[in-house]
Amino acid sequence: MSENINHDLKVDHTRDERARQHFVSGMRSYVLNDLAGNLRTLYGNKVEPAFERSQGRKPADGPEVHKAMKGETLFKYYSSLRCNTQEMVWRSVLPAVERESDDLAARATKLHQSNSGARGTLTMDGSVQVPRYLEALDVHLMPGSYHEQHRDADVSQGAVYDNGLSVFAMGLLGPNMDDITQSVSTFFAARYPNFKPKKILDMGCTIGHSTLAWKDRYPDAEVHGIDVAAPCVRYGHARAQSYGVEAHFHQKDAEFTSFPDESFDVIYSCMFLHEVPGKNIRNILKEAKRMLKPGGVMLHYELPPNKLMSAYDGFYLDWDAFYNKEPFYKGFRDMDPADECATAGFKNDQFFNFVVPSMSFYGKDAVLKEVSQAKAEGDSNVGRFADGVRWFTFGAWKN
Amino acid sequence: MFAAKATKSNTKLRYGVKGKQLRFFDAQGVDELVSIAMTLAQELWVVKERLATVEAAAAKKGVILGDEVEGLQFTPEQRATLDAEKKAYIDRVFFTLREQAEALEGDADDEPPPPAMP
Repeated sequence: MSENINHDLKVDHTRDERARQHFVSGMRSYVLNDLAGNLRTLYGNKVEPAFERSQGRKPADGPEVHKAMKGETLFKYYSSLRCNTQEMVWRSVLPAVERESDDLAARATKLHQSNSGARGTLTMDGSVQVPRYLEALDVHLMPGSYHEQHRDADVSQGAVYDNGLSVFAMGLLGPNMDDITQSVSTFFAARYPNFKPKKILDMGCTIGHSTLAWKDRYPDAEVHGIDVAAPCVRYGHARAQSYGVEAHFHQKDAEFTSFPDESFDVIYSCMFLHEVPGKNIRNILKEAKRMLKPGGVMLHYELPPNKLMSAYDGFYLDWDAFYNKEPFYKGFRDMDPADECATAGFKNDQFFNFVVPSMSFYGKDAVLKEVSQAKAEGDSNVGRFADGVRWFTFGAWKN
Repeated sequence: MFAAKATKSNTKLRYGVKGKQLRFFDAQGVDELVSIAMTLAQELWVVKERLATVEAAAAKKGVILGDEVEGLQFTPEQRATLDAEKKAYIDRVFFTLREQAEALEGDADDEPPPPAMP
């Protein structure tokens, strides 16, 4: 719940607003666990057998399953309730952020200027254009998306995202909502114990959940986060300052960062690439290759590619592309990460991917146990945001 | 930590999602009815949670004060009970959807058909 936000940009929700958030979290859990289970049952008991009777074979891929499912009343209700719940996530936190938006801007400004604790920096660049593919839609059905600005020095959309995410997460992302990167970086650091990065970049960092998780893993490293969305970058820096974590935030487009060649040891992104069209993804991977030092590593937490999944699981994960204002999601999942890394100039034998159990769901020991064996194998828990989730990651070393 | 102040801002945020609205049902107005039903369900939950708060506050001190209701923290046990009640409540409201899937399980095909419709 958003009442768990534990830094200086916390906003006060009334008791009834908190109750609305509790309902939304409970409703999401119902849709994504219970109703999703019912949907799978319906598919197995009715839709797949009917398809087999008429076609003499099972559906071959996600689109065939989708076509067979979309007329089902249960699928319509699953989709409608999920969309409504998604919109209710944001509506449940908007009033408190709106009430405090002017005060939030003042608090953030004070934190930017604070010299008492951490010495992280904030570099804004008004010439950075929000790309048209992002500017044109309310990603995740979030009114105002990441970037809309409502006043000077605005952090409102960062606050909407932070508060909303904590309602959305149903507790699955841990107390600081950084479970994905805590899990991935814990796994990575244990698998490569001799690798000691000095400089780390988090691309498309929004409000810095992942950025700060890398600082936890490598406290001596210099950690940077970039995003095009001004309200998120400001909020991310103020949040880091409030936690006393030194991190450097920049308003930058990951396609054109202007960072020098060979300047980072780790280049990471979390849940970023699937929001980006294919040709821009290719530019971003090339830019990452350019910025990486020899011996450095690029890694991306992402949704698993369709080629790893069954037809039904592919259909299930691609739902967001059609119904959650994430139009590039399916295009990304249809790509082959190994091919894309090769196209960006990484050597084929330097590509890797793995699946890591969620640390907040399964515990740290479960993550460490996977270190010697984890590889990317698709099953219905991979990338599926529900109880028992496991996280897919791909990347490549530069040598 | 700075205290989070519930000040009133002049800034207005946007509540509606821009662009094409998603539609799932063929009959006109059904998508809206679902949204309305969802919100009614949510608001009923708000009332139920507030009532639980009032009851907990009353039990604690025997006197109900406005500030006490607003600031009261449930014990972890009370919170767990309420969460369990919330799950059961949601399950009741949307029972018909579970029923559709469960109706297909097991021996559904063995059910004797009703007489021919007149």
